[in-house]
Amino acid sequence: MPSVIESNRTKLAYPRHEPVIKNATFKVQTGEFVFITGASGSGKSTLLKSMYGAMPPADGELVVGGMEIGKLSSSRLYKLRRHIGVIFQDYKLIGEWSVEKNVMLPLIIAGFPKDVCRAQAQKLLTHVKLSHKSDKFPLELSGGEQQRVAVARALAHNPFLILADEPTGNLDDYSSQVVWELLEKANEELKTTILVVTHHIPEMLSAEYRHLMIENGVLYEIR
Amino acid sequence: MKSVKAHLALILPLFAILFGAEYLIVFDRIVDNYETKLSAEYSLIVVADKALKPVDISRVDRLIDHVEPVDIDSILHRIRKETSEKNMKKIKSIMPSFYSVKLRHYPDKYTLKRLKEELLAIKGVKSVYLFEKMHDPLYEMLAFMKSNFLIFSLLMFVVGVLLILKQMYVWQLEHRERMQIMALFGAPVWLRSGVLFRLAIIDAFIALLLIVSGMFYLMKRSDLVAFLRDIDIDPQTLFHFNDIGLLAAIGFGISIFGTLVVVIRFKEEL
Ligand SMILES: Nc1ncnc2c1ncn2[C@@H]1O[C@H](COP(=O)(O)OP(=O)(O)OP(=O)(O)O)[C@@H](O)[C@H]1O
Ligand SMILES: [Mg+2]
Repeated sequence: MPSVIESNRTKLAYPRHEPVIKNATFKVQTGEFVFITGASGSGKSTLLKSMYGAMPPADGELVVGGMEIGKLSSSRLYKLRRHIGVIFQDYKLIGEWSVEKNVMLPLIIAGFPKDVCRAQAQKLLTHVKLSHKSDKFPLELSGGEQQRVAVARALAHNPFLILADEPTGNLDDYSSQVVWELLEKANEELKTTILVVTHHIPEMLSAEYRHLMIENGVLYEIR
Repeated sequence: MKSVKAHLALILPLFAILFGAEYLIVFDRIVDNYETKLSAEYSLIVVADKALKPVDISRVDRLIDHVEPVDIDSILHRIRKETSEKNMKKIKSIMPSFYSVKLRHYPDKYTLKRLKEELLAIKGVKSVYLFEKMHDPLYEMLAFMKSNFLIFSLLMFVVGVLLILKQMYVWQLEHRERMQIMALFGAPVWLRSGVLFRLAIIDAFIALLLIVSGMFYLMKRSDLVAFLRDIDIDPQTLFHFNDIGLLAAIGFGISIFGTLVVVIRFKEEL
């Protein structure tokens, strides 16, 4: 199995700040489902950022999808991003776009015709139980609903890698269940590699998951 | 309401720039026409004590269009009756040669002075008559105004471009969130900034439309047309269809340039 992510002594630091991650050494194989935990402020979101190329490593080597982050030209980086689905902790929905168009974004970028984008967005919105809100704007939705739109968007283009930053942070048990099932389905049916940052590892997934933890800037393998 | 204001903030400076440009174009054309007209009527006279070839005169300066020898016979014709054939021959032999020099365009005083010296330097040339009193005060004034409008228009251009860039930054702030998010999903530059370019092009088009319809309106005003005829300016010089192309190039050029500046300065946030 080829590695989707290979991180070798990756160090991450914001400009003019002490490093947040001092050493992250780990490998993720295609089709793995990995949880990342750690205290608030430990650098979980920062680690995900590095993986979609918004935070080049200060040191070490980080390879995602066969490309070395930090050594990519910006056009290659953009190409890589088109095949990654990110669920951001703060959702990052586009305020002046409808819910449907937000979900269509990765498909629009991939260059699919409008009707294909729309049909796929409708399918995903149905999966996250939001098809009745497709014409609404993000600010007209509750926090949990916005989060589910972000989940639908990250899944829309069938990416090879999903990076999810607390994807159920704002959801009740039922909606959380819906999101976990969607991620699990993508993982099982499409062999999508999934990295999830979370505080609560759901019991339904407890059997097969891998678990990494960040403590004092170092990434540890728990299981 | 907010978006109308945002559009006006781009359209007005663009309009001012285009207006300045059109003013310069028209003025240039009026002065040009006037120069051609004046130079068609104007010639200077070279007097030489021996016969010269017209090319020897015309090659001293590129300004010279052509040289014609003045026909002495027609001048002498008038005194022919009172003079004998023999005397006539004698007069003819001592008469100098006259050449009328036509210019390509109407020169200013300094060029004219230079030209005179060049002509006098030709071997055999005795004197050069410039007929300086032909120098036209209206022409002088037009030329003066033209150079003033150039400075004025340049100023308008600079202020206009600064205003446009400022409005573009406001746009960039408004669109930053969307552009950031699109970049995170790997959208290429043209897709991220598509809206900015679209707005810039639409506004440039509106500004162009305003200026062109303004010029058409002026051309249709009979009082203005009559006034131009009065001061001996062809009303047709006011607006040529070619101007639209030039103004479009300036308008779209500036607004696309402004957008490019904003797009290039876009930085991803950490
Ligand atoms: N843009 C930034 N500039 C400077 N420092 C930052 C920036 N973003 C985050 N940090 C710092 O980096 C550290 C890690 O932040 P990060 O967001 O990765 O934490 P986290 O593990 O995701 O926390 P949480 O569970 O609360 O989301 C924090 O101490 C934070 O203050
Ligand atoms: Mg976080």
